[in-house]
Amino acid sequence: MMLRDLLIKRLLQLLAVAWGVGTLTYILMRALPGDMAYRIAASRYGIDGVDSNAAAMVREELGLDQSGWSAYWQWLGDLMQWNLGNSLVSGLPVVDTLWHMLGHSLLLALTGMLIAALIAIPLGLASAYWGGWLNRLTLTLSTAMHALPVFVIGLLAVVLFALELAWLPVAGFGSAAHLVLPALTLALSLAAISNRVVHTEAQRVFSAPFFEFAQIKGLSPWQAFLRHGVRNISVPVVAFFGVQLITVIEGVVMIESLFSWPGIGHGLAHAIFARDIPLIQGAALTMGVLFVVLNTLVDLACHALDPRAGDPA
Amino acid sequence: MLKPLLSAGVVAVLALAGTAHAEPTPQNTVKIQAAFEFSSLDPSSSGYVYTRMQILETLLNVDDRGALLPGLAEAWSVEDGGKAWQLTLREGVLFHDGTPLNAQIAAAELNRAAAKPSALQGVPISAIVATDARTLRIELSEPYRPLGAVLAHYSTALLAPSAYDANQQVTALIGTGPFAVHEITVPHKLVVERFDAYWGRTAGIEYASYLTGHRAEARVLQARSGQADIVFGLDPASVPMLKRLPNLDIVRSDLPRSLALKLNAGHPYLADARAREALSLAINRTGIATAILHAPEAASDQLLPSYMSDWHLPNRKAQFSPDRATELLAELGWRKNSERWLERDGKTFELNLITYADRPELTSVATAIQDQWKQLGVKLNVSITNSSAIPAGHSDGSLEVALIARNYGVIADPLGVLIKDFGSERGGDWGSMDWANAQVRSDLTRLVAENDPGLYRRQAQRIAEAIYTERPLIPIAYYVQQTSVNSRLTGFRFDPYERSYFLNELSWR
Amino acid sequence: MKGIDFTSTRFWGALILLTLCLYAFAAPILSSQDSATQDLSSILRLPDSTRWLGTDHFGRDMWVRLADALQLSLLMAALCVLTSALIGVTLGILAATGPAWADRVLDGMTTVILALPGLVLVLIFAAILPGSFWMLYVAISLVQWIEYFRVTRAITRQVARSPAVQSSRLMGFGALYLVRRHYWPAIAPQLTTIAAFGAANAILMMASLGFVYVGIQPPLAELGLMIVEHFPYYADAPWLLAQPLIALALLVLSCHLLAGRTAR
Repeated sequence: MMLRDLLIKRLLQLLAVAWGVGTLTYILMRALPGDMAYRIAASRYGIDGVDSNAAAMVREELGLDQSGWSAYWQWLGDLMQWNLGNSLVSGLPVVDTLWHMLGHSLLLALTGMLIAALIAIPLGLASAYWGGWLNRLTLTLSTAMHALPVFVIGLLAVVLFALELAWLPVAGFGSAAHLVLPALTLALSLAAISNRVVHTEAQRVFSAPFFEFAQIKGLSPWQAFLRHGVRNISVPVVAFFGVQLITVIEGVVMIESLFSWPGIGHGLAHAIFARDIPLIQGAALTMGVLFVVLNTLVDLACHALDPRAGDPA
Repeated sequence: MLKPLLSAGVVAVLALAGTAHAEPTPQNTVKIQAAFEFSSLDPSSSGYVYTRMQILETLLNVDDRGALLPGLAEAWSVEDGGKAWQLTLREGVLFHDGTPLNAQIAAAELNRAAAKPSALQGVPISAIVATDARTLRIELSEPYRPLGAVLAHYSTALLAPSAYDANQQVTALIGTGPFAVHEITVPHKLVVERFDAYWGRTAGIEYASYLTGHRAEARVLQARSGQADIVFGLDPASVPMLKRLPNLDIVRSDLPRSLALKLNAGHPYLADARAREALSLAINRTGIATAILHAPEAASDQLLPSYMSDWHLPNRKAQFSPDRATELLAELGWRKNSERWLERDGKTFELNLITYADRPELTSVATAIQDQWKQLGVKLNVSITNSSAIPAGHSDGSLEVALIARNYGVIADPLGVLIKDFGSERGGDWGSMDWANAQVRSDLTRLVAENDPGLYRRQAQRIAEAIYTERPLIPIAYYVQQTSVNSRLTGFRFDPYERSYFLNELSWR
Repeated sequence: MKGIDFTSTRFWGALILLTLCLYAFAAPILSSQDSATQDLSSILRLPDSTRWLGTDHFGRDMWVRLADALQLSLLMAALCVLTSALIGVTLGILAATGPAWADRVLDGMTTVILALPGLVLVLIFAAILPGSFWMLYVAISLVQWIEYFRVTRAITRQVARSPAVQSSRLMGFGALYLVRRHYWPAIAPQLTTIAAFGAANAILMMASLGFVYVGIQPPLAELGLMIVEHFPYYADAPWLLAQPLIALALLVLSCHLLAGRTAR
């Protein structure tokens, strides 16, 4: 019952978000400075080919003289049928382009989160269990890493692993090796915070009476941890991953741009530059929808781990 | 030590496997990085990538001084006092799908290109017809000298009939070049493979890939780390560092492209030629060329390079004289105010400059000019926008100053570009703006039909002189292209007209 | 009144921040150089007795330029914190104590804004007026007020149900009194933490936009833009790249330490 209410709420949110994001980006894009026909012509025909002549052809072909309102209603109507239109630059359907980019972004985001979990969870548990110098070291490292913007972490990783050591490719895509540095950058920036969350929660559990009791009962620390610790630690940690989703998505925008990774963030930044309105709308919308969907997944995970918990929102 | 041996072994095994090409691997693929995206398959919009990657070819070619060479047409003649061009197609040319090239296909392609924003726009064509299977005739309503160069432009490259769908949209890139498309992901990834039935010199390498790298820093890193074999458009700032690396050759090439300030000559502060001269004298071109472009000899106050000798004034040297500049502006009534800005009738000498980020040096040069004019007392606000803001600002009259990198070799004969830029009353999107010089306009129009080389040169020099003294544009420097080539490749050659990467001449070292 | 705790993270955060502020505002006075004046004949110079931090790729004095960039970041952070705190707290109290429809409208607004990752929203805003400091300020504040709003609303709701507020209300005290006497004291301690993180985020966002070329435009000194501009010289002049990197990291670190809690 409660789960159903939660899902209905998220669904309504999704609709509101789709409409809101679409409208917002639409208004913003109409307000962009400069003549749109020229900008599209520049992207299409290159710097040496853009002139008034090319712009006039673009204007005529795309019907850019259409009034703002009628273009907006048409876009909303198309959106209802999940038709995001064609890119003004390439002429390809936006949906196809988005699918292509979404795959890359998801791959980057999921790999990054997985590596983050592989770093953060053992580190957080170990620093809580042993404490002492290990704890001080992870705390210092985490604080330092957290103070660095994600693009700086990326730059430093490039300098170290790609240039000085020449282990990994600098940028681009197409092979597993290309994924390593972007994913590692994302993972490091995520793990900087989440290992401390794991640490705090683990410390809470390790000092809790039920945990001590389990050990008195005769379970080894490891058995006690598996039987009682995991679930108690994971609820707040998973919930925290939900909070961190924003870091993931913002990180993806910067990292994709730095590493020329052809995902949605890179596409969005480039579409803004080229004034490709359908693509900007599509990309921003996808990011918004993705964000809500991932949040829902986190809700579901929390619910599955601890059905007693109330509405996490 | 083991690695090269192993990869050599792999290549040998693959070579034995037969004529069908093996899948592309890092060992058999030349990896190219450049800044430019290809936004669609249509040659009129992104053809430059496809001709550079040698998928598509044009009827004519040009050498590195702009002279016409045979391309898909092996011979051509100009008839009827310049009003008809007759081209004879090469025999035995096959498209990648096996279709033989004939004059009907070529005529249909040119007619198609003429209806799009291609280099054929503005050419006074009255008909393009195939007179027999190998002969193509282009009839003009009046003589047009640069037509040969237009036929060497990427937007007139030929596609096979099967490249189009029922709505005449390009759905596949089927050309005649030494490479055929293996994989294409618009807008940033293209892999081509050797076309064994090519009419000319078949390629020595099996595959080449083209990847778009937007960020100049990232491209430099790709070159440095050996991830890309050939990287075009290197940031001059990183060239000294790259030159120290043993595995890279840095190729420096002069392009018929100039860095120049486009001025609004209709602007009250800029209308007097003395004001424009003063602004030009205040620019330390040598400093900019040395410190920013890392190519001291690129500094120039002429628009066209010396090798376009008809258009280049001999024996001139770029001048830098802030004192003379101050004098000239004082003659025009500009006086320094208490904040050290020039002032006249209560108004400070303030201008807005726009430029674009696509070429990394533009922003740096704009920043340098901003400071050099500040020493003169001219306040320059720099804003970095999209390149499209320049033609847009030209047509609505809002543009004051723009820093541009103009390609005078976009078609190999600079006349075509100069007519666009200086040939009409309001000037051109990338040329003069409201510069009242009727003489230059009529000279340019007359040149189109001029067939005598001596007369041509005389008039061209007169136009160059007018542009030099009246400065509707203030040239800063020639554009120097820096390209890195990994030392595992040999045979690299750079085309100053950027029409081809000459991949079919490359081989593994 | 307890004395200064030299071991607390907040103390160290405040110390670093104060030092950076001192440098940012005093450095230009100490030096005779100007942050925009170029000298193309002395580029990429090592620090010496006249140019205390060396010169950049235009021969500009780094000592002054770095101070300018820090000033800009500090100004942006201060403005964003003040604006978003003011809007967030006001609307938060309004939502918690006002009519139910106001709460619902505000809640809907936050849901829609939160659905778009903040950086994406700021990116689109920055595209409207490229290079404008004020546009960035508006965009960042628009994203950041929500945090204050949510915390304020939650606390105010709780406090509003407390017996103390109920009795004050029965006694006929006005809304302003309730805010001053009950709500504000409960909210205030939470604000320092949000503000410190908010300041760090504002600084990071501006630097990030500079990094993707939609932030502040030249010749204004901005930390993110400086990092991209200096990166090509990292092999020739590593100290040049290090300067904005260290300044940015210290600035963000000081804010995080000031927040009092580690990384959350």
